[in-house]
Amino acid sequence: MANIEICLKEATTSIEGTLGVALVDYTSGMALGTLGGGKDLDLTVAAAGNTDVVRAKVRTMEMLGLKDEIEDILITLGGQYHLIRLIKGRGKNGLFLYLALDKGRANLAMARHQLKKIEAELEV
Amino acid sequence: MRALNPSMLVRMAGDRATGALLRETGTVYLLDGEVVHAESPAAPGVDVLLLARRRLSSAEWQETIDRAGARCRVGRSLVESNLLTSGELEICHLGAVFDAAFFALAPRTGPTRFRYGATHWFGPVRPLRAEVVERETRRRQELLDRIWPHPEVDSAPVVRDRAADNPAVTRRQRAVLDLADGIRTPFTMARLLGRPAFHTLVDVRRLAAAGHLRTPRRAAAAEPSPIPAWVADLSADPDISLLRRLRDALEATL
Repeated sequence: MANIEICLKEATTSIEGTLGVALVDYTSGMALGTLGGGKDLDLTVAAAGNTDVVRAKVRTMEMLGLKDEIEDILITLGGQYHLIRLIKGRGKNGLFLYLALDKGRANLAMARHQLKKIEAELEV
Repeated sequence: MRALNPSMLVRMAGDRATGALLRETGTVYLLDGEVVHAESPAAPGVDVLLLARRRLSSAEWQETIDRAGARCRVGRSLVESNLLTSGELEICHLGAVFDAAFFALAPRTGPTRFRYGATHWFGPVRPLRAEVVERETRRRQELLDRIWPHPEVDSAPVVRDRAADNPAVTRRQRAVLDLADGIRTPFTMARLLGRPAFHTLVDVRRLAAAGHLRTPRRAAAAEPSPIPAWVADLSADPDISLLRRLRDALEATL
């Protein structure tokens, strides 16, 4: 029944060092689902704010005339990684997965790989 | 500025009520105090979104309604017959519900009432807390005002401004620009694009702010509203007119 919830749960259990994860609609900035986060990381605020990041990059690519698509955006902080993965596929135009990771515990390559898998699972 | 009406939603939710909150601008359905559906003449429904994106044929949609409509489980039936994955259904339905709720709960004077026991034939997909829906509705209004505080672009025919040196637009915005023919409004564009109306308003306000679209001059004494005037006329619910007559009659005797 709760497909988004299951996907987000899988992200938090399968990705080492996950602090929070959200599925976000990037035009409205609304989080369709969130898991984790807390006092130090308000995922609904992060969702709305990161839509500006995605939009800025999409616009820049248009300005540069790059006919390509963004797979993911990585933001590296002192203690955290923030990973934004744009979701493609039928009918899911304009969504992204947002993942906040503890830099000390996370394996970035694995996190990317898992996020890709979770994206595919939203389809089935 | 906030009307009493949204808190009526929360009040009904607090009573764990089941039924429909009816306003001129749309309807929000509660099941055991949780929001399970919403619709508004201003917002494309789930069917419009799915059909315009060619995710479903109108025959498939009609069959599903015939089969499951009476049992109020159209949504689940779309998944059970493998027409949609449950992730797709949930994403599409949530999008449509928040979109319709934005217009249905817009601050606006006018009668609000609650019809106990009313359920929607689509059936529940992911029930939402009323506070969450209200908070999101408020956030959306603030977002629009932040992008370009000119609500008159929301309902007017969309007119392009082809001045040079306008900043680049995204592909999604390009699709909106391409439909701007000086006749279509953002609401007709949303239907053609198969996108939620609010999303189209966001793009229209951004494009107007960037100078790609003209901003009509604000009509004197026009009340700023995200709802076009014709929406109010569309929901000619006989019960509403009855209530109005009652109110007028009561006021006349007081």
